[in-house]
Amino acid sequence: MDASQRPRFGKGVKLRHDPGGAAMLLVPEGALELNAPAAAALELVDGERTLAQIVEAVVERFEVAPAQAQREIDELFDRLAERGFLR
Amino acid sequence: MTPRPLSLLCELTYRCNLQCPYCYNPLALQAYRDELSSDEWERVLRQAAELGVVQAHFSGGEPTLRRDLPSLVAAAARFGLYSNLITQGTFLDDALLDALLEKGLDHVQISIQAPEAELADRIAGTEAHEKKIEAIARVRQREVALTLNCVLHRLNHDTIADAIAFAEREGIARLELANVQFYGWAYRNRAALMPTLEQVRRGEAIVAAARERLRGRMEIVYVLPDYFGEYPKPCMNGWGNQFLTVTPNGSVLPCPAAAAIESLHFENVRDRTLAQIWNESPAFERYRGTEWMPEPCRSCDRREIDWGGCRCQAYLLTGDAGATDPACSLSPAHDVVVALREGAENLEPVARRA
Repeated sequence: MDASQRPRFGKGVKLRHDPGGAAMLLVPEGALELNAPAAAALELVDGERTLAQIVEAVVERFEVAPAQAQREIDELFDRLAERGFLR
Repeated sequence: MTPRPLSLLCELTYRCNLQCPYCYNPLALQAYRDELSSDEWERVLRQAAELGVVQAHFSGGEPTLRRDLPSLVAAAARFGLYSNLITQGTFLDDALLDALLEKGLDHVQISIQAPEAELADRIAGTEAHEKKIEAIARVRQREVALTLNCVLHRLNHDTIADAIAFAEREGIARLELANVQFYGWAYRNRAALMPTLEQVRRGEAIVAAARERLRGRMEIVYVLPDYFGEYPKPCMNGWGNQFLTVTPNGSVLPCPAAAAIESLHFENVRDRTLAQIWNESPAFERYRGTEWMPEPCRSCDRREIDWGGCRCQAYLLTGDAGATDPACSLSPAHDVVVALREGAENLEPVARRA
């Protein structure tokens, strides 16, 4: 996925937060558990923010190395896009 | 600590207008006519959400035969559950589909029996294919996720390439090609439904090539055939670990096929809460985790990958639900599976009927 792309969720994909705080991505016939940075990145998916803006926001919030955040979010988003969960 | 269930399969009814010989529903369909009421299903959905479940799958039989389906979808949404309708589609007209979407339905799975009408209708035992095509088009016209499902067996295994082409033509984003699993009616018909080794190998190659070609456009979920692998399927990701099923009359099962296990007593939502049954019932405790395992599972590196395979399959093939699944090549009873795999016959299967 290109850094200038503005990802949005595919049909039938929903981000869910448990009352306890755990986050999951609900997808057709399955649920993917998310760690805190992954959940934070997906919370920003709205079809308007670019991938670059999402990475920047996660870096700021979690104080992680930009290169590492970039790599992890790229991997996650590519994997989700391949399955049609992000477009 | 007892694990948290994530997924609830609501088998609303075992009634169905089709007669597919590969159905996993139990042979004794008449025993399930005393169906849960709307209020009872709503209570089940609420209790499931309280227990941690995040997805409700409405299935059957044919779930759209329940007039209260839209109100049950609404209840699922009210309790924060993702809702999935698993249907054969013959009753999914505009009015019903719109009612379901208005109530918050998140996903629809429609099954076809084959990619062309003559074979599909022969397998279904009635004229159904054309109505399914219409239902698929209706769902495609609306903003809702759709999975197309086709159960594969000896009678249609050679049409896999056509099924993929059909899905491409219909603009399907998610296709599930599921090799038949031998429970209920499918177990009764296993000799007629068992694919040949040649069919399985050819099918795998076609699916692998299509996945490569359609990457990013269509997700192809391929459910492996049970009797042809080296290791068994991780049935339900472990007994009483993530999944629970409620049958039309309220019986609570760790696996949709578990009613066949006569040595276990399954409790009913009419008598106890879902939480009590999930956390305390002996039937759920019996094969939870790894403590119950015999060798070769007990010391196997894969014990928390396969979870010993399928308890129902172990019971059906060995008479002991606590045995290693004979589908595993390491099982002492694996020769039973080899014999069944090699015993495929050109028989006419028995149609499912009440």
